[in-house]
Order: sequence, then structure tokens, then C-alpha cells
Amino acid sequence: MDVNSSYLLSLTTFVYLGAAAIYLVYWIFRLEKVGILGTIITIGGFLLETAGIILRWMESYKLGYGHAPLSNLYESLVFFSWVTILVYLVIEFKTKNRVIGAFATPFACLAIAYASFSPNVEDSIQPLIPALQSNWLLAHVITCFLGYASFAVACGLGIMYLIRGDKVKSGNYLLDALPTRRVIDDLMHQTIIFGFLWLTVGIITGAVWANQAWGTYWSWDPKETWSLITWFVYATALHARFVRGWAGKKIAYLSIIGFISVIFTYFGVNFLLSGLHSYGSS
Amino acid sequence: MKSNKSSQDGNIVIRFFSSVRLAIFLFIVLAITSIIGTILPQGESLQFYLENYGPFWFKVIRTLHLYDTYHAWWYLSLMALFSVNLIVCTIKRLPYTLRLFRKDGLNLSKEDVLRRPFKNSWLVPQRTNPVDIKKELKGLFYEMAGKGRSKNVDGGELHFIEKGKWNYWGVYLIHVSVLVIFAGAIIGSFMGFKGRVMLLEGEITDHAIKTDAHGNIKKIPLGFQVKCEKFVVNFYPNGAPKLFKSDLVILNNGKEVLKKSILVNDPLTYQGVTFYQSSYQSVPDVKIKVVSSDGMQKIVHLSAFRDRETWKEKGLLIGMMKFLPKVHGAPAVRLYIGDIGGRDGDAIWLLSGHEREEKFGDLNLKLSLLEAQERYMTGLQVKKDPGVFVVWLGCFMMVAGFAIVFWVGHNRFWLWLGEDGKKLNVILAGQTNKNKVHFEKEFKKLSHEIQKRIGEA
Repeated sequence: MDVNSSYLLSLTTFVYLGAAAIYLVYWIFRLEKVGILGTIITIGGFLLETAGIILRWMESYKLGYGHAPLSNLYESLVFFSWVTILVYLVIEFKTKNRVIGAFATPFACLAIAYASFSPNVEDSIQPLIPALQSNWLLAHVITCFLGYASFAVACGLGIMYLIRGDKVKSGNYLLDALPTRRVIDDLMHQTIIFGFLWLTVGIITGAVWANQAWGTYWSWDPKETWSLITWFVYATALHARFVRGWAGKKIAYLSIIGFISVIFTYFGVNFLLSGLHSYGSS
Repeated sequence: MKSNKSSQDGNIVIRFFSSVRLAIFLFIVLAITSIIGTILPQGESLQFYLENYGPFWFKVIRTLHLYDTYHAWWYLSLMALFSVNLIVCTIKRLPYTLRLFRKDGLNLSKEDVLRRPFKNSWLVPQRTNPVDIKKELKGLFYEMAGKGRSKNVDGGELHFIEKGKWNYWGVYLIHVSVLVIFAGAIIGSFMGFKGRVMLLEGEITDHAIKTDAHGNIKKIPLGFQVKCEKFVVNFYPNGAPKLFKSDLVILNNGKEVLKKSILVNDPLTYQGVTFYQSSYQSVPDVKIKVVSSDGMQKIVHLSAFRDRETWKEKGLLIGMMKFLPKVHGAPAVRLYIGDIGGRDGDAIWLLSGHEREEKFGDLNLKLSLLEAQERYMTGLQVKKDPGVFVVWLGCFMMVAGFAIVFWVGHNRFWLWLGEDGKKLNVILAGQTNKNKVHFEKEFKKLSHEIQKRIGEA
């Protein structure tokens, strides 16, 4: 088979699937070597995906279009999975806890699997229409997806928080392998602030771009509005810490609701509502 | 945001407007109500809502202004309440934060130091020279944690190091930035305008057109003139558009002052007014020669926007009804010929290269199509928004605020060295307002080093 970027990227799906499975095995049997294997496979998949993205970039030049692979749904899904793995690897490196991998890698795997195998997602390289011919495309997409990926990881942490339970030693073999609630909560808060920062920058770069292309920095287009709704959800999560009785569980729920809102901003708007961003659905 | 129970909290109004609960309530309400405008089509005619949603929902939509949700009175009120909440919160927190900011970390007793969230205490038998070990521990403390100050406290020496004290202002920067963005938006909506200009190649205008919600057309004078010299559209082989380009010239008092080719992402700005490439149309433009039997003749120039012309001497009205760019390889135009009074009229086809005779009333006319072409008309979005820089300033403040909140923490370390009977008492304490997990690691490392040094003594 001819090695092209689509082939490399669909191959990455299986590597991430393998990584997710191995992190799961690590969580259950807690064998250090299995955990290391999980990390190696994840890094391998990440490198493979990086190669796929670079190859796709080169292919677009060969076709005479010459643009960064961030211009349609397929490319954004691939980039989403790439950033999710990157954010996760940073967290793994900082916390030295590999169980989180069992909660984070599935998001990356699902995104790239959907991109590679769904008949709804067109994977051919398309030229850029005039509205997309801007340097802001790169800044806007990268910042938005840094936010989205952080929120995916925060959602994984939220789920982890809820199943972890209050007790430091619960006697449950699986649960005790997870970090304590205090640690998860702190990590979740950090991840949400990080994601919130990038979502904000993403909205702002989008506004600057829209102002340059259409003369309006904010036009209440459904995508813009949904990104604002997502922003409100995470603003709630960040302020909830300061209200007695709201910390902990409620924030974990909010990080899950927030990610649902992210998914709707990302897909729902493209498929269900129309607006300036509807080109993203092809 | 942590509520302090001082006397000024007594005012229930201030308490209401300054509460974080109100902020959370507003976030949730704004998130939920914002959904409406993404599901319900916005900006349609009232008739549209009546036909599609029935009389009951029509009433709801009309009363709550749901056809333009984000400018509805209740939505703007929520935004206003949000601003009041932010302002009151900020003002109320200010003295509290100032106290935190001015608080001297050295102004602690030994007992206070022991009450910090992170602490460790050692008792060292004074086998070695106490001055030496003190000096060594101090050196270690400053080497690992940074520059600091010291003071004599409770019979010992207290050393104090802090970093990132100014992070308390990060939250203020974010909160104020929201207000700055709102201010920019308000300035833009009162002092700016938005309109459209449609220009044929070669055409000049001195005003933009604005259509309001009720379909009324308003002319906005620009104060100068804009001319479109040329419009270009290119396509990719797959048919997708590749480039829209208008060559614009700005004229002030008849003098050419600025010339620029604008693209979709590359507008032109003159005197605060910006022209954006937004659409285009192709329109027919024809010239017809009409000769009457008495030898008089007239050239009639018709285009989609000057679609009729009169020939007063003959009482004729000639108009264009339809244009076909190619009929048997040549352009053709369907003309209307009538009298000015509109009592009588005919429609005829005129094909390029074929003269046509036409009897109209008592006139014998010879018509021929001199020129026929399709011309491009560029569609420009015109905008003046003096508030936009205020909005960008707010955005910059917000991002800077987030960066501070995320990356800067107020980290404090204390080292107390004093005598406890015959032994040397060493107390290490720490406190942070951010990322406790990371701080704990740093504290443990420092703790470990001190432990090691004491062990060696």
C-alpha cells in the first residue's frame, strides 16, 4: 500500500487503542513494566501521528494548495487527538501517575478513529477558500484545540474523581491505584485553568480574525455563541471553588458538562446549526 | 472572593451584588439562555415566526424579543447585572487584597510560623558550633528558595522568602478586562456604524447603505469617496473559490489619496472607516443604438442597476428585462419598449450583430446591440468602530490576567532558628495560594536538604 498521510493517521488509531488497553491492564495489574510499555506505545503513536501530520502538510504543497493541515473537520480531529496526547504526556511526566492514561488516551483514540473511519468525515486535502486564507487560521485553531484537549483531559479527571471516592484507602484494589481526591481535584483545577486560558485565547484570536475578514469581532454566530456557553460553564467551575459546599463533586460534574458543551461547540454546531463555521463540516 | 465578615458586609444589597453565588447564578443563566439564539433562527421577520411556531410561541418570541435574543432587554439586563456584580465584587475585595498584599511575612511569631500549612521542625543537639550550623542552614535556605529578609523573633532569627506576591492582582486584571471589553462594545455600538457598498467596476460612491431590522434603507455618508477600479475572482480546478480581489481607490475632494487591492482577509482602512471584501455579483451592462425613421438616434446605456432609460424627444422608455450572455454564441438582451406614460409597451429580443426594426406606435425604430458584457460588482462591508481597540485592550488584559493566575503563585517560605534549652530548634514552614501539589514537592525537597545537613552535623 502506498504510504500517505491518511494511512499513517489511521494506523495511529490502532496504536492509541493499544495504548489505552495497556494503560487499563496497568491499572488492573499494576505491573510497572506494563505501565512503561503504555508510555512507550503512547509516545510511539504520538510520533507516528506527528509524522502523519507533517506528511499531510507536505502533500498539500505537492497538490499546489500549500496550507497547514488544520482546515477541515478531518484535520481538526487529528489535531485534537494529537494535542490530547500531548497534554496527557505532560501530565504523566509531571505526576508520574500512569493510571490517568486509561482515562485520557481513549479520548484521543476516539477522535482519530472518528476522523479516519467515519463516512461522514471527508479526508481529502482541500484548497483554502478565501475566508480561510489567513495567518490567524493557525493561531485560532491551535489555541482552540489546546483548550479543547485540556478540557478532554479535565473531563477524564472528573470521571476519575467521581469514581475514586472519598476515602484515601477504600480497600478497593482498583480505586486505591488512583490518585487521592485531593490530588485529582488539584490537577483538574489546574487543567481547567489551562484549558480556560487557551479557550479564551482561541475565542480572542477568532474575534481578531473575524474582525479582519468580515469587520465584526463578534456576530453571535452559533459557533461563537457555543464557545461562549462553554466559557460560562468553565467560569462556573472556576468560581465554584469559592462557594462553600460547591467544591469537589460539583466541579467534577461541571468538568464533564463542560466537555459535553465543548463537543457540541465542535460537532453539534457544524452538523445541526448553520453559520459562518459550517465549512468545518465537510 | 473569600468572604470576610467585617461590618461592611451588613448591607444586604452590597452582599447580594458582591456574592460569588450571584456570579455563578449569572454564568449558569447566561449559558442556558444563550442556547436559545443558536437554535431559534435570529433576525427573521415576525411573519416567519408566526408561520413556523404558531400563535402561542409567536407571542412568547415577540414579548421576549427572541428574534434578536442577544440584544433583547432581558439579555442585556443580565449582562448589566453581571457587570454590576463584577464591579461590586472588585471594589469589595480590594481592601482585603490590599491587606494580603501589604501583609509582612516577617510579622509572625514563632507560634504563627508553626501554624503554616506546610511545616517541619527539628531539634539539633549542639555538638558542633551553633553559629556554623545556623550559617549553613541559612545559606542552604536562601540558595534553594531565593532572596529574602530576616528579623529577630521570639528569641530566634526568622528568615523569610516570598515569590509572586503580585499574583493577587491577576484576578483583578481578568475581572476589569471583562468590563473593558464591554466598554469597547458600547463605544462601538454608539460611535460606529456598519453598512454595505456595492460597486461596479469603475463606479464611485460617497456613502454606504445600511438596512435596519425593519428593512428600511439608510444612507451613511462616508466623508470621502471610494472607487472600485477592478474586481477579480479566481477559482480552483475543483470549482471552489480561490480569490476575491477589489482594487479600491480612495478619493478625498476629488484627489486620489489611497490605493489598495483588498482581499477577504486584507481590508483597507481610511479615516477610521474600513472596507472589507465580502461578496460579488456579475451584472450585465449593455449599450443599444436606437435610430428613428427621421434620422435621430440615441445610445441607451442599460445595466442591472440602471435598467431603464427614457428618450424624451420621442416619448420613449427603454428597459432591460433579461440578459443572456450566450445565445448561439452571442449575447442577447430582452428589451421593453414603451411610452413614458406607460400606456403601451412591447417586449423584444435583440441579438448582438443583428439589427432589428420595430414599429412602435407611429415610430419606426432600428435597434442594434452595440456592446454587451458582464461586469463584476464588488460587495464591500463598511465599518467604523472606534471601540475595537478598547476591546483588544480588554482581551490583552484578560490573557495577561490568566497567565498570571495560572503561572504565578504567591509562594512563601519561613526558616526560624532559635535555642530550645540546650538544643537548636529549626523550623521550616511554607505556604502557597496556588498549585499545592507542586509547592509540596518543592517544600519536601528543601525539607530533605535541611534534614540531610542536620544529620551531618
